[in-house]
Amino acid sequence: MTVMVEARQVGKSVKTHDAQLHILSDISLVIDKAESVAIVGASGSGKSTLLGLMAGLDQASEGEIWLAGELLNDMDEDARAKLRGQSVGFVFQSFQLLPSLTALENVMLPIELKQDPQARHKATQLLQRVGLADRLTHYPNQLSGGEQQRVAIARAFASEASILFADEPTGNLDTETGATVIELLFELNAEFSTTLILVTHDDRLAARCARTVRLSSGRIVGDSAKASPAENTGSVTEPGQESAQA
Amino acid sequence: MSATNHQQGLSNKRKGEQQRNTGLGLAGLIRLATRFLWRDLRGGELKLLTLSLIMAVCSVTAIALFTDRLERALLNESANMLAADRVLSGRQQPPREWLQEAQQRGLQTGEFISFASMVFSDQGNILVSAKAVSPSYPLRGDLLVADEPFGASYISDAGPAPGTVWVESRVLPALAIEVGDPLYVGNATLTVAQVLVQEPDRQQGGMMENAGPRLLMNLEDVPATQIIQPGSRVSYRYLFAGEQQALNTFADWLDAQPENEYRLRDVREESEEVSEALDRAESFLMLGSLFAVTLAGLAIALTARRYSHRHFDHVAILKTLGLTASQINTMYGLLLGILWVVAVLTGSIAGWLIHEAILALLGSLMQVALPAASITPFFIGALTALLCLTAFALPPLWGLRSVSPLRVLRKDVAVDGSSQWLPYTAGVGGILALILWYSGDLYLTALIAIAVSLVFLVLALASYLLLKSGTASGMRAGSAWLLAKSALSRRSQQSVLQIMVFAVTFMSLLTLSLLRSDLISDWQAQLPEDTPNHFMMNITAAQLPGIESFYEQRNLEGNPFYPMMRAALLTVNGEPARRPWDDDEQPRNLTERAAEDSGAGTAAPASADESGQAATVNESGEVGDTESVRPVTRQVTWTSSLPPDNEVVAGQWWDEEARPGEVSVEQDYAERLGLSLGDELVFEIEGQRVTVNVSSFRTVRWDNMQPNFFFIFSPGSLEQFGATYLSTLLLEGEQKLMLNDMLRAFPTIVVLEVDAIIAQIQRIIFQVSSAIELIAALVLVSGALVLLACVNATLGERYRENAILRTLGASRQLILRAMLFEYAFIGAVSGMMATLGAEAALYFLQTQVFEQAFRLHIWVWLAGPVLGTAIIAGIGFAATRRVVNTSPLLVLRQLAD
Repeated sequence: MTVMVEARQVGKSVKTHDAQLHILSDISLVIDKAESVAIVGASGSGKSTLLGLMAGLDQASEGEIWLAGELLNDMDEDARAKLRGQSVGFVFQSFQLLPSLTALENVMLPIELKQDPQARHKATQLLQRVGLADRLTHYPNQLSGGEQQRVAIARAFASEASILFADEPTGNLDTETGATVIELLFELNAEFSTTLILVTHDDRLAARCARTVRLSSGRIVGDSAKASPAENTGSVTEPGQESAQA
Repeated sequence: MSATNHQQGLSNKRKGEQQRNTGLGLAGLIRLATRFLWRDLRGGELKLLTLSLIMAVCSVTAIALFTDRLERALLNESANMLAADRVLSGRQQPPREWLQEAQQRGLQTGEFISFASMVFSDQGNILVSAKAVSPSYPLRGDLLVADEPFGASYISDAGPAPGTVWVESRVLPALAIEVGDPLYVGNATLTVAQVLVQEPDRQQGGMMENAGPRLLMNLEDVPATQIIQPGSRVSYRYLFAGEQQALNTFADWLDAQPENEYRLRDVREESEEVSEALDRAESFLMLGSLFAVTLAGLAIALTARRYSHRHFDHVAILKTLGLTASQINTMYGLLLGILWVVAVLTGSIAGWLIHEAILALLGSLMQVALPAASITPFFIGALTALLCLTAFALPPLWGLRSVSPLRVLRKDVAVDGSSQWLPYTAGVGGILALILWYSGDLYLTALIAIAVSLVFLVLALASYLLLKSGTASGMRAGSAWLLAKSALSRRSQQSVLQIMVFAVTFMSLLTLSLLRSDLISDWQAQLPEDTPNHFMMNITAAQLPGIESFYEQRNLEGNPFYPMMRAALLTVNGEPARRPWDDDEQPRNLTERAAEDSGAGTAAPASADESGQAATVNESGEVGDTESVRPVTRQVTWTSSLPPDNEVVAGQWWDEEARPGEVSVEQDYAERLGLSLGDELVFEIEGQRVTVNVSSFRTVRWDNMQPNFFFIFSPGSLEQFGATYLSTLLLEGEQKLMLNDMLRAFPTIVVLEVDAIIAQIQRIIFQVSSAIELIAALVLVSGALVLLACVNATLGERYRENAILRTLGASRQLILRAMLFEYAFIGAVSGMMATLGAEAALYFLQTQVFEQAFRLHIWVWLAGPVLGTAIIAGIGFAATRRVVNTSPLLVLRQLAD
């Protein structure tokens, strides 16, 4: 299998007034192509921080992160931005659509970033696919929450990304709308054979994923796919490193 | 193994890269920038910024267009007023080779000699100001002549031919002759060939050249008259006209000539009263455009800052989608670029329309045809907009590059702090650059920079302390006043910034409007409608009753007669008096110039005039000729009542029972002489010594074109000496013909006609006053934009806070009142500071730049804070009413997004 994302003994800490606050410690994780992984845990367990690190939105304080075959530690923000543009799609809890652009323009943006002349055509098709054919020229503030999230999903798949990160995609939606959106997300994921990494505290949503990684206080406390720990942590892990990072 | 798998992933990716280019091209960025711009313009986020930018371009372009055209029109007109583009004049004849040099440089040249002289007919005589001109005279403007006195005039192609003279209408009846009759000028007999109606440079030159009607003759005839003897009071004038470039290089060449005491002058240097009004107006317009642009810049900076804050999230999304920092910069740079083009186009058109409006307003007054506008003002407008954007809008947007993409997950991610100070530094730098550019004066710029930094520091400190005093924790949600107070101190940094912005805005507006009204009232006071426009001199005591009854018969309103005589100041408290001025610094006192030019009040003017010789008094009016011990000689007078426009600033003016032996001295002159009240001064008058004590110091308006004196003696001090009298008279339109009757009845009187000068100054003052009003209005609009921008800048936080307060149960009433208090407080403090600042700025501007007397504006001390409170509370209240009228749920939901 091709590894799409790998975290090796990753830690994240921030400085507070008087001490170093450890948000994540000793995270090691391998996610293969086309896998669907739910990262679950209580509020403050570090789920979103881990997602941000794996997606290259932030930098780890310790350890290594590989994304789509590239070592993120070596890259500056611009290089990471380029990599995100190439390989990563996002769906956020608060949709994160650009209010200045119409639904169609929002979806076109990642395609245009790849200088694809077919941007308009592809974006229109995707919006049709998510059931928003009649909302192309609407601005985000003219759309309901569910519709905005569907636009966000269309945008996520528009870049033909190999990895899709979703942060609490149903967090701002009612149950019914949330279910519809989830249905759509998984349908498209299957269609595009995307690797899906999803942060949620919704167990029903987590259950739709093939694998569940559970976080507590910044550490992995459970991994449903962890049949072979040696393979998952990778051969480069050396004994003793773990204690040094603790 | 995973390492192998990664490599595989990498090679897959590289393949992918080969298939498709990465990144958004320039065209894509332009598209994106245009969409952002269009959307933000429609959404209102960029409306204020764009408006401010357009305002900056519009006001600068309008002012630049107006001054450009006016300046060029005045240059044209002034060339006519000089009869040339440049002149060179002196009491000695300048080297004639200079004329040849100028001709070789492609310039046109001309020359004339002027002198006052008695001319005779067989029936009578009259004092005329004669002007002997070369054939090329005038180089600019036209000579208007008529075939009979007071007849219809037409343009003459050439000046008087040799052997002939042209005289003004008034001369013919005075001498009882007609056109074609002979007239005796010195030893020459010349024929009157034409009646002179108008010459372009009639008002130029010393008073001597305006003392009495004009006689124009040919330069060739001068030797035959034998009027000009060594020591004669004669003025030589060389005229030059041609291309600006050639004139400038010729001026440089002249300056480089060894021992050259002559200088090429243009009309500005020739007509002091006009040029002063123009200089002041230009300074004001410059200041006005500077204020307008600074205020617009401030509004731009505030709106750009808010705009960039609102775009943090957009940038985070764009970065998440793969845009690099440099692409972000390019995109926002392009956005500003498009905005610049839009603002320059719109602002230029608006500026053009406004300047046309100014011209239409002044249309009836503009007696000169305005030349077409040059392209320069549009460049100035465009460049100003560029500078505004670079200094005020770019820095906050530049900070966007450092926004972390992590903001898509967490809103609290801070934006890189290093860029926080950049906007301020760039803004202040931008303002200084503007001042330097507009004023072209490094010293002035440095001075303003220091003053402004000091004011800012004091303002910031004062408002911070004020806000921090009585700080309490929590929101104090119980009463509106406490709520407002706690809001102020919680947002102390923002409140200080607001107070400073408001204070600076009010200060600019106050300074400009006070300066405007002071300037205009000063001008109006200088030359009111009924300013006397004729000086009558050389009147003897015996003629006074006759003149008074002459007035009575013709319903003329006379003015006081001032006795006048020359007095030499010998000693001050027994010590020889020092000379207050070097000769070339002599104050240009109209009274003295007039008296000395006309020879009135001098020891032997009459005999000199009657012999047909020009009066022999040297330039500065000194009587003696021993260089080393020349005493200061002045025209002095005595009077019981203080002349109008004089103000006693120290000591006492004498009352009804004035004692002889007192003198009142002009303040500035007294300072230069080092006088104190009570000093004993000894004067020499007609060979006798007179001892007086200084009893008061006075200020005098030198620019009011009225009789003014350095020394005024108390009644009884000088009565024993023979004085001639000086008075003024207002003659308008047809009344002017009465001059002939008067001169016939009192032939020894000398009349100076200053009506044209006064009319011209009044016209120019009216023009520039109207222009100034308009510019002040433009600045007002810019100021309003700043106020709006500043209030808007804090709306976001207010929405959130008030939504929370209302959710927790605070009434709308309470919140509204609290906000009203908060804004009123900010308004009052900024109004107070603005008043202080404006008075300080006015003191500097009026004493250093506009050369006006500074006086405190007491009413503003009350009006400033009251107006500040009312305006800010009003605007703030109107803007924030939306805050409480929006449902708290909606606000909180929007803010959560």
